[in-house]
Amino acid sequence: MIYALYIIVFVICVYTGRHYWFTLNRLFGFQRHPYIDIDTADWPPVTVLVAAHNEEKVIANILDALMTVKYPEDRILVIPVNDRSTDRTREIIDKFVQDFPGRIQAFHRVIGKGGKAAALKDAMELVNTEVILIFDADYIPGAGLIKQLVAPFFDLEVGGVMGRVVPLNTGTNLLTRLLDLERSGGYQVDQQARMNLGLVPQHGGTVAGVRLSALREIGGWNDNSLTEDTDLTYRLLLNGWKTVYQNRSECYEEVPEIWPVRIKQIMRWAKGHNQAMVTYGFQLLLGKNHATLRERIDGTLLLGVYAMAPLTLLGWALALGVFYQGVAPLHGVIALLSLTAYAALGNLAAFFEIAAAVRLDGTRKRISLLPFLILGFAVSIFSVSRAAFSQVRDLLTGAEFHWDKTERFRKAL
Amino acid sequence: MNPYVAVAALFLMVGVMLLLPLIPSLVELRGKSDALPLSVVQQNAGEIRHFANSFRDYIKGIEPTLQRCVADGTTGTGTLANGEEYVALGRADEALLRALEQRDALHPVVITAGVDLAVPGESTLSKEIYAGCLFTGGSKNKYRAILGENSVHLGASSHVTRWVHALGEFTAERECQLYGRISSDSLIRLGADCVFLRLNAPRIEIGDATVNQDTTSSPVPASVNSAHAQRFFHEGDFEVQAGETIRGNLVVRGNLHIRSGARICGSVKSTKDLVLGDEVCVEGSLISAQEMLIGANCAIHGPVVAERELAIAAGSRVGSLQHPTTVSAPWIKAEEGSLVFGTLWAREHGEVVANQ
Repeated sequence: MIYALYIIVFVICVYTGRHYWFTLNRLFGFQRHPYIDIDTADWPPVTVLVAAHNEEKVIANILDALMTVKYPEDRILVIPVNDRSTDRTREIIDKFVQDFPGRIQAFHRVIGKGGKAAALKDAMELVNTEVILIFDADYIPGAGLIKQLVAPFFDLEVGGVMGRVVPLNTGTNLLTRLLDLERSGGYQVDQQARMNLGLVPQHGGTVAGVRLSALREIGGWNDNSLTEDTDLTYRLLLNGWKTVYQNRSECYEEVPEIWPVRIKQIMRWAKGHNQAMVTYGFQLLLGKNHATLRERIDGTLLLGVYAMAPLTLLGWALALGVFYQGVAPLHGVIALLSLTAYAALGNLAAFFEIAAAVRLDGTRKRISLLPFLILGFAVSIFSVSRAAFSQVRDLLTGAEFHWDKTERFRKAL
Repeated sequence: MNPYVAVAALFLMVGVMLLLPLIPSLVELRGKSDALPLSVVQQNAGEIRHFANSFRDYIKGIEPTLQRCVADGTTGTGTLANGEEYVALGRADEALLRALEQRDALHPVVITAGVDLAVPGESTLSKEIYAGCLFTGGSKNKYRAILGENSVHLGASSHVTRWVHALGEFTAERECQLYGRISSDSLIRLGADCVFLRLNAPRIEIGDATVNQDTTSSPVPASVNSAHAQRFFHEGDFEVQAGETIRGNLVVRGNLHIRSGARICGSVKSTKDLVLGDEVCVEGSLISAQEMLIGANCAIHGPVVAERELAIAAGSRVGSLQHPTTVSAPWIKAEEGSLVFGTLWAREHGEVVANQ
């Protein structure tokens, strides 16, 4: 039992070190933003896919925003992908198509497999541009964002692009404020550090882009995947395409305002990530592919992120077991140290990362909410563990996954 | 002590100690003093003319005063919307400008001129200048910002701290230090040893770039959309032989050397250093994750991005009048005689290298 505990402690220490490395890199390292200065170019034709499933509350906002972006009008086509909506989404989209002839082409999907990847896959029949951008319907792109997301595609090694997500409904309640902090840490530090260090920035499936030829080369959208973004990141990586992160390409999104919605969201992410870990983990780390050594190591660690929650719970149980068993070396002191070390160090590393992100963002007072993140972490650790256990159970019983759309909170126009 | 009181005291103390670090959190949660969404630049993301356009709007109110001063050949003064003082020049003789320059040390004012403006040398003007006609600056002058409705010419060793925008040509004599944003709707021409950060104009001449006008063939543009073309992927260092033509896109995970006279009918990416010999033609983009050296008389359609240092030799040109593009790197050394159409952006430091 003690050796299993040692292994878990070691793995958690690796993740802790990784958090510190990323944070220190963001604070003191060379920052890579190679494509953000491309402001003049022969801008290529681009298709913007807006994934929408029952989005009557938000779809008009994003379509309005996309109609005012600074991109040559004759080179941008917006395709709202209306995936089996039963509310007013279709009606709102059709009104925009009428008001902006030639600039928006509706794709109404009434039957077919559920999930964003399946909807995007079907919508590809309308796409014939080399650059594709993807937004979820609750996002509000700024005027300069399209050019910023297109610019990296001048680099022929780039298959995917990811921008930064910034919560819009930050001040609603404790949950939205905690998610604001988590997003800061995740993007401002984690993603940018991976970009700086030549590791594996993750495609987020929204505020993002993909190269059509790369997508075709890797076999298109995988509609069996629960998180098409993670799946895309790894298939691109295995086939020699880079995903780049643009920290200054910021876009507002709406974050969940109630805990049940947040829990559902994080459980879906966990399941999708774990699915990708099983599918691509071995192939990435040891298989023959185009990834560099550091991409292999970081990519594998990134795949294991959501497996850490059940592992941590298991570690706690083992540590307690070892302690009460009384057979541990040094009368259980090692076990006790292990328990506190990985719990405290691991969490502190993440706290350090978020605190650094808040500082880099130039905000001041919101950092005082940091202690409340323990609450967010506690909810995450149990939700993610629950997702992992139910995933194993579903595997054994053959149950099918039900795709849950994240509920919106904005008032409809 | 009563054991019940002791236990209660213990619980109370533990409770207080737990709550103590949460007090700032609770105050912030309740007070929401920093609860607004992060400020994301939504409308003017990176627009080089943003400051110039804002300044034009800012001084719009004094247009009638300026016109009156020009008609009367007089000088007017007043206060702008935010309380800042201005001077409207309907005439601009040297004595007047000397007086303004001397006043600047104690009490700087925004200068607007409806006539040709010739600022004498060794002047410091620490507020914005609006030049309705030609602007000519003497040598060793220091400016904050200039908006010129016509051409703007800076004398040798001048210094700009924030921005310049000229609707006509912008020219800077040798050894000028141009920080911030410099833009023109027509042409930018920089003398030898000038330092720059961000330049944008339909045509940017480094030194006397007219010499290279007809020496290189114009690259046929290869856009991102033509990336359906074959992608040659090579692990390790690679060389394109002199005079060789490659039809397709080239991605090299290593150093790449394209020897003289080669032609790439597509885009090029190198994950390490990228060296172009003389008279190389690239029809697409040119990207290096490390240093890049562009030899003499090369023609590149663009964009050109180097993640470390970029050196451009004389006679080379990037982009064209019909297809302006971007040249970007943290450190750029552009030799006199090179030409860029569009944007030339040195994030940390750019300099014009004099011809040997």
